[in-house]
Amino acid sequence: MNTTADNPLREGIRLERTAGPCTVVIFGASGDLTKRKLVPALYRLVQQRLVPAEFAIIGQARTAQTNDEFRDKMKASVAQFSEEKKVDDEVWRSFAQGLYYLTSDIGNADDYRKLSELLDQIDKERGTGGNRLFYLSVAPRFYAEAVAQLGKAGLTKPKPGSWVRVIIEKPFGSDLASARQLNHDIHEWLDESQIYRIDHYLGKETVQNLLALRFANGIFEPLWSRQYIDHVQLTNAEAVGVEGRGGYYETAGVLRDMIQNHVFQVLSLVAMEPPAHLGSEAVRDEKIKVMTAARAFTPERVAAECVRGQYGPGSIAGKPVPGYRQEEGVAPDSSTETFAMLTMFFDNWRWAGVPFYLRSAKRMPKRVTEIAIQFRAAPHALFGAEAMDQVAPNQLIIRIQPDEGITLRFAVKVPGQITQLRDVNMDFRYGSSFGVQLAEAYERLLLDCILGDSTLYARKDMTERGWEIVMPILDHWAATKQGVSFPNYEAGAWGPAESHRLLESQGKRWRRP
Amino acid sequence: MWAGASGTDGDGAGTTRACTLNLIVYATPEDSRDALDELLDEVNERAPGRTLILVADRDAGDAKLDAYVSMRCRLLGDSGKQICGEQVTIAASGPAIDNVATAISPLLVPDVPVYLWWKALPHPNDQLFDRLARMADRVIIDSRSFVHPARDLILLNELIGTDAQSIHVSDVNWGRMTPWRTLLASFWDVPDYRPHLAAIDSVTIGYHPPPGALDDIATKAALMSGWLAERLGWEWSGGTLAGGGDEVRCRLQSGDRGIALTLRRDCTSGRNDGRICAVTLAAEHGAATFSCALSQDVARLTTEARIGGTRTVGRVIDYIQRGEAESFARELDFVRRDAIFEAALARATTMLG
Repeated sequence: MNTTADNPLREGIRLERTAGPCTVVIFGASGDLTKRKLVPALYRLVQQRLVPAEFAIIGQARTAQTNDEFRDKMKASVAQFSEEKKVDDEVWRSFAQGLYYLTSDIGNADDYRKLSELLDQIDKERGTGGNRLFYLSVAPRFYAEAVAQLGKAGLTKPKPGSWVRVIIEKPFGSDLASARQLNHDIHEWLDESQIYRIDHYLGKETVQNLLALRFANGIFEPLWSRQYIDHVQLTNAEAVGVEGRGGYYETAGVLRDMIQNHVFQVLSLVAMEPPAHLGSEAVRDEKIKVMTAARAFTPERVAAECVRGQYGPGSIAGKPVPGYRQEEGVAPDSSTETFAMLTMFFDNWRWAGVPFYLRSAKRMPKRVTEIAIQFRAAPHALFGAEAMDQVAPNQLIIRIQPDEGITLRFAVKVPGQITQLRDVNMDFRYGSSFGVQLAEAYERLLLDCILGDSTLYARKDMTERGWEIVMPILDHWAATKQGVSFPNYEAGAWGPAESHRLLESQGKRWRRP
Repeated sequence: MWAGASGTDGDGAGTTRACTLNLIVYATPEDSRDALDELLDEVNERAPGRTLILVADRDAGDAKLDAYVSMRCRLLGDSGKQICGEQVTIAASGPAIDNVATAISPLLVPDVPVYLWWKALPHPNDQLFDRLARMADRVIIDSRSFVHPARDLILLNELIGTDAQSIHVSDVNWGRMTPWRTLLASFWDVPDYRPHLAAIDSVTIGYHPPPGALDDIATKAALMSGWLAERLGWEWSGGTLAGGGDEVRCRLQSGDRGIALTLRRDCTSGRNDGRICAVTLAAEHGAATFSCALSQDVARLTTEARIGGTRTVGRVIDYIQRGEAESFARELDFVRRDAIFEAALARATTMLG
């Protein structure tokens, strides 16, 4: 990050985080992510003056095309996927001058020499200072090879006074062994400080606001423990199905696809201790610390405290939709889970005995990600059972998407001669309190990486810990897949009945988001 | 009022009340209410809260004080919910104006920031302004509307004062300069260019004539001069930015190094909007130049650096022209004192004096 000591004109400018020169190299530039997210996000960073003129992008893929063809495609993508939906020709020409394409094969060492030459040429022409960000937006099986080839070509070692960073997309491994192997392979060429494992959930404003809510307010943290919290519910629901990715999903399932990465990242922010400061290592140290305290899943615990599900035909928003087994690329007798519910415990002083219920699924009634903190009921029923009839314990609900905001539910007296209580919600909505468009997660995360701030990226230990926690569940479910009766929930329902029964058996119930 | 807004059941189900601030707006009967309403609708969308509009008729002889309340609402996405904020309009005339501040004070929502929107420059001895400003966390003015820019900037500097009791002022026009300041600053984010920053010996700022004061300097140009001089530690050593003419010059000094500052009025575009249209900083007698320029159609900003006569990488980006309401609403994001603005203004006034 540029500091005011280096540049006195920087002080007091309302854009405080501006990056220095660099070149971003996107591996897999012919893919969907590049056109939908990455290049539009980088274009916006340039337009917002968050990166300097000394900036360039190289798209890399096997598809043969020229710089101009790539530029034309990216122009159409920026117009289609950016908020403004239009691109000024002269502004684009200026942006496109820093946009290059290199036809190359991930496994071909010669192509990395060409890439190295192109990077040197760009450093000279555009003053990018030898700073390089490699973004691996390719199939996961190529991650290790791409890093190794970069290393062999001398591209992972920064030149004096410059930096080299690598962003790796999810999924990071498909199980614990493969995640460890991948970490081992990339560490042959890169320091941990150079590795940025992206989880776009962490780029969302409300996820970042979790830190502010917990640690910038004096009223919540004293309540944030087993003394006052009965349990926590984390719901991560999607209304969509597998969207043509049935082949991939068959090898993944929701536990691999969502819970061991996105859901655990959010969970760790909810449960962690206050960090000493907001530096990336301090925050990530606390996240891994709490995840280390997660109680291990035994086969008995998996059977008793976890639920898997798969959607059958049903309807979403009034429209009939097929079941998972009817989706393209899915086996007619598939046992892949599209719903998973976990009961987690953290065996530490803060959370001993407090259950954290996590559920993530496809084809639920609506898209929503939220955390509901359910507080303990008042210790004494002063108002009597009849008055409390419509009152539930207090809840703090943190909505991550959509309609980002925070709601506090508490009881009040209904006006009148009799004492009757009712719950009311006190709402905070980003959309109503700050009438500004929230930044796209990729913009935030890309800028963070260029600035060298890895707080919102997953560290090695966290990726492996995520897998360590879910492996016993995956293993148990794989061993018992013959006995499972899928589908067990209709598309458009809040998961299988078993997940509701499990909470009810503990005197609780799932909140309807 | 809230029960009415919520529908027949009155439980607030359809309406969300949002309050992030108090905004006191000073207006005169001559100000267009339609334009003000339009501006406040948009401002309320970005920063909902309680708005108190004071319409002060200072020329009326009779003492009158009337107030009425209303709401500003908008639909929240497709949720069917409305987000509403209250508005209190107070019409005061004649001697009643002297006491109107005490009528406003109890109407403020507790414990959220108070902003005073006093668009034109207040008279230095205006007691109403003084009372309202002391009530406010921040006073927002717009130096673009100054009738005598050079003189009024000096008055504004005096108004802010320097003691601990001084008021916190935000200038919407200063906010409009952010793209220029960012682009200029970004030249020296590049380590290779930093040595040239300490060798700058010439600055040229082009600007469009200000509206309503065609012969005067534009406030933005003066503030830009003050900002560069203050941030880079240049002391005034001669000349003046005031006095009119198509070109004015000032001499500045940094140690042994002299810096020539030139402000050039650009009338070629035919625009009288007081905008800055070009800034060039040169070092070592032109061996290195750093420039930003606004396109003729006011749509794009172009930056360019030339070192030793060779053009390095430049860029063209959109010049996003924010509307009046958006520019104003951005000032509501800040409550703290803007020390950089105040220092730039103070330095500009030494060059205008």
